[in-house]
Amino acid sequence: MMRTAISILKKDLRMEFRSKESILAMWIFSLLIFVIFNFTFEVSRLVMLEIAPGLLWVAFVFSGMFGLNQSFALEKENGNLRAMALMPVDGGQIYVGKFFSVTIIMLMFEALIFPIFIIFYDLQLSLGMFRLIPVLLAGTIGFTSLGTILSAVAVHTRNQQILLSLLLWPLVSPIIIWSVTLTGMVLSGEVTAAFYPLLLRVGAFDVIFFTLSYMLFDFILED
Amino acid sequence: MSVPALEVREVSKDFGRIIALRGVSFSVQSGEFVSILGRNGAGKTTLLNIISGVSRPSEGEVKLFGTDPSDRANKAKLAVISHEMFLYGNLTAIENLEYYSRIYNVPDAKQRVEEVLSDVELTHRRFDLVATYSRGMTQRLTIARALLHEPSLLLLDEPFTGLDQHAIGMLIALLKKQKEMGRTILLTTHDLHTATELSDRYVVIAKHKIVKDGLIVDTNPDAIRAEFFSAEAGGLES
Repeated sequence: MMRTAISILKKDLRMEFRSKESILAMWIFSLLIFVIFNFTFEVSRLVMLEIAPGLLWVAFVFSGMFGLNQSFALEKENGNLRAMALMPVDGGQIYVGKFFSVTIIMLMFEALIFPIFIIFYDLQLSLGMFRLIPVLLAGTIGFTSLGTILSAVAVHTRNQQILLSLLLWPLVSPIIIWSVTLTGMVLSGEVTAAFYPLLLRVGAFDVIFFTLSYMLFDFILED
Repeated sequence: MSVPALEVREVSKDFGRIIALRGVSFSVQSGEFVSILGRNGAGKTTLLNIISGVSRPSEGEVKLFGTDPSDRANKAKLAVISHEMFLYGNLTAIENLEYYSRIYNVPDAKQRVEEVLSDVELTHRRFDLVATYSRGMTQRLTIARALLHEPSLLLLDEPFTGLDQHAIGMLIALLKKQKEMGRTILLTTHDLHTATELSDRYVVIAKHKIVKDGLIVDTNPDAIRAEFFSAEAGGLES
């Protein structure tokens, strides 16, 4: 049943590893954000801890937009989007394949950029930082589960990037805001009782977005 | 009588105020080779998109092997060749074909991939990225991709566009072979000579509707051309 999804995932990752187009562009873009903010604002460590979570997610989300746009732009080239519509498979399988490829690429990029972020903003590593792993996973999955289907909608239009931003931002905002809050708790070492319920809420949104997108993807592929 | 491979009943399609097709009806029996003739903008590609289930008609209905074109079982029996490649430039020929063979669940995929590559004379370039191929080679690989899962119905949308003489000759030979194998083929073209050489029947679309449906044996390219132009001028319109 997952054969199609795995085939699409393998194909996407093979193309990405060959060109490194998305990861490299996302990494350079995030690096620029960190450099600009680091040298523009001379702030105390306390203030830095306040703004660092937001800055990290700005880098993740803006770079993630590039990855999302790139994912279906590749399919639009040479009519492959039409080839997908012609495939004798459930549209949901195509969605799962695309979702996992975008998510894996984004998580790899996050793993590459996070050490740079730590160095730039002089943050101290501690065991408590491992709590960031579920936060980054949940936030990223929410962003990509919604972003994948909306990217497939936007790719049919001429102003793909503008439309994707317009559609995605209002819907994904709660997840990003909660992820920033959770990241702030971990980075400042002040993980309160609100941490796990909030993480659970992000997870619940992930499940809702993923399930709805899976069910609706067949309609997106039609002209 | 057996169920036709394709049945198009009173199909109309509009995109807002733009009319693409008006009340188009025809059927194609299994094993038949039918050419759809018409000028650019006549509605040929729209018709093929509706037949392949990618687009829905505004009115009317299409049946493939007696059922809806969007049925998964029908999609597995179908192949489309158009001016769009349906290939990934950043993958090699073999990677592209292996990807599609997994999607279409092709049995003995490795052997089948080698077979179709040999049919289109691309075995020697199988490990090269498709982005490095010439237009003709890309189109040959497109044909290999389409034939990979041995479809029962082939939809060809202007497949000769941009091909050199060698590639055209190869495609014609491949289509003749497919016809001999009993495949149903629907070809849209404005090349009357190729259409008459390959087809059993021809359908002329002018001004978004069918103006002529005839057998090739009854006629010749010049007669079809005369009908074609009189239809464009409005002569065959009722």
